[in-house]
Amino acid sequence: MLDVEDLSVSYGAVQALQGVTFQAREGTVTAVLGANGAGKTTLLRTVSGLVKRQSGNVSYGGVELTGLSVENIVRLGISHVPEGRGVIEELTIDENLRLGTLWQFGRQERRSVLDEIYELFPQLAQRKRRMASTLSGGERQMLAIGRALSSKPKLLLLDEPSLGLAPLVTAQIMALIQELARETRLTVVLVEQNVRSALSIAEEAVVINLGRVVIADTAVSVAADTELRHLYLGF
Amino acid sequence: MSLFINLTLNGITNGMIFAAVALGLVFIWRATHIVNFSQGSMAMFTTYIAVTLLDRHINYWLVFAAALVAGLVMGGVIEVVLIRPLRGKHALNPVIVTLGLFILLEGLAGSIFGVGNRSFPPAFSQAGLTFGHSTIAFSHFDVFILAAVVILMLGTLVLFRATNMGLRMRAAAFAPEVARLLGVRVGRILTLGWALAAVAGSLAGLLVAPTVSFSPNFMDLILVYAFTAAVVGGLDSPVGALVGGLVTGLSLSYVGGYLGSSLEPLGALAILMVVLSARPEGIFSRPAPRRV
Amino acid sequence: MSAIPSVPPVPPVPPVSDPGPIPIPPTGLSRFPWLRLPRQPMLRHLLLGAVAAFGFYILTSAISSFNDFRVGEIAVYAIALAGLSLLTGTNGQISLGQGAFMAVGAYTLGVLMTHTHLPLVVDVLAAIGLSGALGLVVGMPATRLKGPYLAGMTLILALGLPRIADKYSTFFGGDQGLTVNSPTPPGTIDPQRWLSWIEIVGAIVVLILLANLTRSRFGRSFRAVRDDEIAAGLSGIHVARTKVLAFTVAASCAGLAGAFLGLSVGVVNTGEFSLTLSIYLLAGMVLGGAGSLVGAWWGAIVLVFMPGWSTSIANSFNLGSAVGANLALVVFGLVLIVVIMAAPMGIQGGIGWLGRRALSLVGGSVPAPGAPTPRQEGNEPVGSIPSIPPPAAPAAPAAPAAPARNIRAQS
Repeated sequence: MLDVEDLSVSYGAVQALQGVTFQAREGTVTAVLGANGAGKTTLLRTVSGLVKRQSGNVSYGGVELTGLSVENIVRLGISHVPEGRGVIEELTIDENLRLGTLWQFGRQERRSVLDEIYELFPQLAQRKRRMASTLSGGERQMLAIGRALSSKPKLLLLDEPSLGLAPLVTAQIMALIQELARETRLTVVLVEQNVRSALSIAEEAVVINLGRVVIADTAVSVAADTELRHLYLGF
Repeated sequence: MSLFINLTLNGITNGMIFAAVALGLVFIWRATHIVNFSQGSMAMFTTYIAVTLLDRHINYWLVFAAALVAGLVMGGVIEVVLIRPLRGKHALNPVIVTLGLFILLEGLAGSIFGVGNRSFPPAFSQAGLTFGHSTIAFSHFDVFILAAVVILMLGTLVLFRATNMGLRMRAAAFAPEVARLLGVRVGRILTLGWALAAVAGSLAGLLVAPTVSFSPNFMDLILVYAFTAAVVGGLDSPVGALVGGLVTGLSLSYVGGYLGSSLEPLGALAILMVVLSARPEGIFSRPAPRRV
Repeated sequence: MSAIPSVPPVPPVPPVSDPGPIPIPPTGLSRFPWLRLPRQPMLRHLLLGAVAAFGFYILTSAISSFNDFRVGEIAVYAIALAGLSLLTGTNGQISLGQGAFMAVGAYTLGVLMTHTHLPLVVDVLAAIGLSGALGLVVGMPATRLKGPYLAGMTLILALGLPRIADKYSTFFGGDQGLTVNSPTPPGTIDPQRWLSWIEIVGAIVVLILLANLTRSRFGRSFRAVRDDEIAAGLSGIHVARTKVLAFTVAASCAGLAGAFLGLSVGVVNTGEFSLTLSIYLLAGMVLGGAGSLVGAWWGAIVLVFMPGWSTSIANSFNLGSAVGANLALVVFGLVLIVVIMAAPMGIQGGIGWLGRRALSLVGGSVPAPGAPTPRQEGNEPVGSIPSIPPPAAPAAPAAPAAPARNIRAQS
């Protein structure tokens, strides 16, 4: 379980997060919602270690994450798909996927893990040797998620996976995420601007505004609260 | 005509040496986005270590290996001690630090190893090879130079394309933050990049030393020419280092042969200016979008 | 659910404008009005220059004429360093060619002295002019080059330019070099002292001119281009011209310094102007404080005395002649590395820091180094991070609802 307690983060004079507290339970999808600039990406980047906290705690499975390096946090089973996906264009699809497995698996296991990913994303399997720069937006998202999954994580942090994707593709990706969470007991923290999609697959929802948590409740309650939606979520 | 042939052969040999040093510059640029102006001095230092060992009659090939290992260690230590602390700060700082290192190593070499002119014995005969009646400006030693640099290049190719470490290095160079999120220990990769770059430089130093008068400055011009070669080929392209090296070596050989050797540095300057005006990123590099 | 919380009105952001005719911020010295210098930059600089000239006059008269030679040398290097400081510290263009331009100045003087009978003044002016012209020629393609590329190009220049003298050795005097006669002093003044006075006056004049330049809109353009070329271009500054101007000025300073050096030493040859000189100049600039004109003096002092100090240190520890000859290299190398890593603002920065500390103890207000501080002569060094004002300042409202949505924070 991911446990964020009273987390505060600042970039110089700008207070990005203030006193953020919530939990994400194993096997659930937690949607993190809010307007542009609310602090959602900062939250994920702090969990994965890219950004240092000012005060507060982040722990996963009882292990304190604050103070660990990014590489060590990854080795705890946490995988972060950053904003913009982070597909490395100068590498091939296969190389992108392989990269995620290097720290953990030997050659045999790596082969079988990669085969699993290719089964999940047959479009990627067809073009293993092609450069990642040739992929469309939806395919890149699949590559990014596949790559994140290739290290067999227990916690998956996704930053705006639907960004720039057509609605149909978004729906496919969301369905995939939901299935993964259910089938493999994967904990997912999903930052999204596309609130409807996110709420449709999430069990829990956290709404952030100007760095503070406005509400942390079940997705159903948040979706039902029309005034909240008007104020903070844009519909 | 024979002058032209000799100049061409000379140019190729020199070009290979520039390519080796340029390869080191490329490694470091790709890893840390720094031009290592002390690349030549580092090579000079390990070569001095080599010549000191050779004076004690230790086997040449052992000394050769020792110099390469010394380079490996030196490069790694320098990255950890001097370069890593500067990461994230002003971009000009590492440039100045490498310049400081440049003269620091020169001074240390002079202090430790003495200033008198030494000579570095070549591994193979430096007499020109003969074909029939004519002797060409190409010796067994030159063959050795070519072979050594080709092996270096092939080794680099294999490392980058076929090994997992190479994959990590490329990922760390192209997208360090993403690489970290995938568990790649980018810090260690950067150190390795510097270490390997220093090995390339050490090799070049060992190849050059028998051909010049040996003093703490002997790599200065070579660094400059290697820099030109790296810029010509593209600072982020290993293949570019080879091509750039050959282009630079040949051009400077002709300039030196037909116009006089004192004009060679200005020839390099001219090459540099031409390339930087026409295609600033170099022949083989990928143009990066300018972030505004 | 409660009513929509009202957002408190954000106080108006004061317009950030270019501080017109240099307002001097209040410092602790406002308690001592008689210590304050005149507001007009030119007057201020002239006054400082006059004080300095007087001070040097006293100094050189008091010490022996041999030591006058040293003081003169300091002045000469201060000229070269001030130019380099302008180019690299204030304008952000890292140049390793300053030694080469000094060579140009020196050789111009030498050639004119050897082959013509023009008066000394003309020779010196020609030295300045030719090196400035070369600076113009080199500076133009240099505008397209970024940091390391520019460093590399000027590195080749430093190695290659003196070689022309080798190639055409009959004209340039070959290994021996060209002999140069020092100027004849009027009356019974010692020639060494006379020369050092000329050099000191030259340095003071140059520094006054550079100080005025730094204060002017050119100085602001220099700094703007250094901090962000694209933004500077977008705000109407002609970036290429600014960079070329800086280059030309720096080269002219170097040319003058080279000419003076030739006069001091009595001979001009390529050995004086190696790559090492250029790197020493860089070290002197960094140590003194990049971008600081006062720092040029500190750097010059170190440059002049260091080789002597290191030889005597080597001798007193019995380290042998090899070490003695090379210790200066080691020291300057360390200086470059250590200063950049630990104290990028150099000596002048350190003094500024101490000064601010002292002033804050005395109770005056302390202008922070990031804010525009015209009092410190363009003291933005190469090593420090270019100051980016925080996005929410100066409004910085206290209410938690501010800063207003979506200023800069990531979502």
